[in-house]
Amino acid sequence: MSSDKVVKTEKVEKVEKSKVSKAGQAQSDKKSDKTVKRLRLAAFLGVMGPGVLAGLSDDDPAGITTYSQLGAKYGYSLIWTLGISTIALILFQDLGARIGVVTRQGLLGLVRQKYGARSGVLSASALVLANIGTMTAEFAGIAAAGSLFGLSKYLTVPLAAIGVSALVLRGSFARVEKVFFLLAAVFIAYVVAGFMAHPAWGSAFHGLVVPAMPFNRDAIYIATATLGTTLAPWGLAFIQSYAVDKRLTRDDLKLLRADVWIGSLLTGVIGFFVIVTCAATLNAHGTFNIQDATDAAAALKPLAGSLAKDLFAVGLVGAALLAASILPLSTAYSISDLTGRPAALDDDFKSAPLFYGTFGVITVVSAGLILIPGAPLIRILVVTQVLNAILLLPLLGYLYGIAKDKRLMGEFAASKNMRIVYLAIIAIVMACVLAMLWFTVH
Amino acid sequence: MNRSATAPIRAAKRIVGRRDSILARKSIRESLVSLAGLIGCPVRDESGRDIGKLVDVVVRHGEETYPPVSGLIVKVGARKSFINGARISTLTHNEIRLSSTRINLTDYVRRDGESLLDADVLDHQIVDVDGLRVVRSSDLYLAPLDKEIRVVGVDISFVSFLRRIFPGSFSRRPTPERVVDWSAVASLTDGTGVVRTSGSRSKLSQLRPADLADLIEDLAGREQSALINMLDPDLAADALEEMEDDELQGLLRGLTTEHSAELLSRMEPDESAEVLRDLDDTHRESILDAMERGTATKLRELVSFDEKLAGGIMTTHMIIVKEGDTVAHALKLLVDSRERDVSDGVVVVDSKGKLVDHIQTIELVAAKPSDEVSSIVGPPYPTAVKVDTPLEDVVEEFINNRGSSIIVMDEKSKPVGRILADDLVDSLTSDEPRGFAQGGSGL
Repeated sequence: MSSDKVVKTEKVEKVEKSKVSKAGQAQSDKKSDKTVKRLRLAAFLGVMGPGVLAGLSDDDPAGITTYSQLGAKYGYSLIWTLGISTIALILFQDLGARIGVVTRQGLLGLVRQKYGARSGVLSASALVLANIGTMTAEFAGIAAAGSLFGLSKYLTVPLAAIGVSALVLRGSFARVEKVFFLLAAVFIAYVVAGFMAHPAWGSAFHGLVVPAMPFNRDAIYIATATLGTTLAPWGLAFIQSYAVDKRLTRDDLKLLRADVWIGSLLTGVIGFFVIVTCAATLNAHGTFNIQDATDAAAALKPLAGSLAKDLFAVGLVGAALLAASILPLSTAYSISDLTGRPAALDDDFKSAPLFYGTFGVITVVSAGLILIPGAPLIRILVVTQVLNAILLLPLLGYLYGIAKDKRLMGEFAASKNMRIVYLAIIAIVMACVLAMLWFTVH
Repeated sequence: MNRSATAPIRAAKRIVGRRDSILARKSIRESLVSLAGLIGCPVRDESGRDIGKLVDVVVRHGEETYPPVSGLIVKVGARKSFINGARISTLTHNEIRLSSTRINLTDYVRRDGESLLDADVLDHQIVDVDGLRVVRSSDLYLAPLDKEIRVVGVDISFVSFLRRIFPGSFSRRPTPERVVDWSAVASLTDGTGVVRTSGSRSKLSQLRPADLADLIEDLAGREQSALINMLDPDLAADALEEMEDDELQGLLRGLTTEHSAELLSRMEPDESAEVLRDLDDTHRESILDAMERGTATKLRELVSFDEKLAGGIMTTHMIIVKEGDTVAHALKLLVDSRERDVSDGVVVVDSKGKLVDHIQTIELVAAKPSDEVSSIVGPPYPTAVKVDTPLEDVVEEFINNRGSSIIVMDEKSKPVGRILADDLVDSLTSDEPRGFAQGGSGL
């Protein structure tokens, strides 16, 4: 009987487990157990903190493209949307870190516990959908960068998908990740380029602090996409699973929060300079519409001249690979967390089918979307970020609910003032989404 | 409890855990009602008139293995009311009937030892004591047993979780795919403190301390404290010794001062001292103040030693005998303190309390019980260091002598503690960097 078999296998597993643990002395095998656990997600993150990592991954192809479009099309006037997005990013990443440390549960698990099965599945679907979209954007970036060197996307995208998966699944990601990280750091070139483009600093800072909103479809669209790409749903889930997975304690919280603040600010600063550079070059010279992620490379011309395209391509590939390595993994962790069965890379496929299934689906579906002949890459990129913003709404709502729950958060529960700030941010995201829906309908 | 005939129940395919589980009983298996499905069901009076909708089910935890339903929380109009469990006449997956038409509606006030199944247990983390893991409950099953409706099992399957997102009666049918018997579950929360199930307590007590430590570390906050509260204090102390220092500090913050003091005094003194040393001054003092005075004094002294010195990593547990004591006396002391980690031998001192020798248990066993201990004093003499010997020199001594322990003496050559090889290993490995932001390559 098949059911008997199942029972047996489980018994065998148990026996093996106990054998293993008896083999070593209690103390030593305990320590090695723990080392294995810490290796899970942590091993992928090497030297930099998760906050910085999430920050730089936010400057992925989708982010850079969205920021470039914002700058090219609206000059300095919409920079404030990035300002608000960055503040929101800091506050919610900080909140995610706190929730992870205090409750030692992932976001989706907590949503399930507090709001029930349906809410859990709803959030999970939102996250998977948003992450497939963002992952598609990463592959779009790789395709775009490849095309700069005359390489076909039918070659670069499958290669990147297989390569990244192999690296992550075989655990050798930690070694090359620093390379990706450095490549992504090329975007700091935008800071230099920003200065060299001699932007109108006055207008830039005016745009940063004085909100102006042209009430038309495109402007709302790009503002929403900016929110969506900066305050990416996957980042929220990621920082929390990171804290849980690494078993960070309240003592680590200070470091983690510092890291989150630095990472989020870095996202904002790079974004700011991308927008300013594009505003001072593209927008000032009458190029308002970016057709392709690579058009944004033109903004780097004042700095790098003919090298601009290469520099941009390198950064794009680095950021894309960096994000493409973390995204499927982070999603897989979230789904395992929802089911209440924490899984990790040291489990085999049989014992963690959902974990590996999620990983596979995210990677295959998003690479597949890009490979559809004639797929409108830039459109996919921006639509994805808008989708991110929409899907943010339920997640932010749940985060807010968890943050104020004294039973869950204890002394770390959000104060009244913070609750107002969180609500204000949620209201802004909601206003953007509603305005956008209104324009879509009309 | 009548079951509606239209709801076929699949037999529990796999009952995780004990063979003698009551879930293996056919009568129980066929009368399971899904708690998740029950929430939101209409509650009707004897004549079939709707009273309201079910919000939650209250159970009472006592010494019984399967906690009985003590009442229902029902939404009547805009108000949530409590209805005594004794009033239930029928409970099926699509209706709850009460046994009278006159219902007393009172507000529900949480009482000690009660928990709300939906708010406290469903979808929460629970400890599956048989499987040695923390899982989430996908559903809870109720069944009539010993004249009361009781919680009999926890469903932990993913299928049952997914079933609940569907609308209509489909989502209400029990799908007992993977059910853990309630007796094998440690449910960790209720509004007031701890859910004690007698079955799970005894099972928890059979776990290895290292496994328990892993379970404890998988939890946080109230769940963590709840699990600790559920354990026998000695076992809890053993498990705590297996935990990482920073984990342990976090845990102590969640416990009452008295409870922390109790657990720390039951731990090996060097381990407690190590934890206490890292706590902030006020927290440490309040814990020490709550301890029995002798223990507190000993720990204060240990805490005062630098952890880079021999005194900072030594344990004060050892058996000291005088030269003139008999072998039989020494052996008796060993037997009396066999619970402590001192069984390898006794430390011998002279009349002034100065160190003379360390005698292995095996030597004592081989000697004549009526002889004086001094008769078997002789080489090899034990290695001894002073309390202020730096850690590197202690390591050096271990390497040179290949022993499993070293005796630590004060400035008057009186033995004050011992360093065991594993203490040394602990103190040497605890220096590994682990902060990710500081370039923690030791991950």
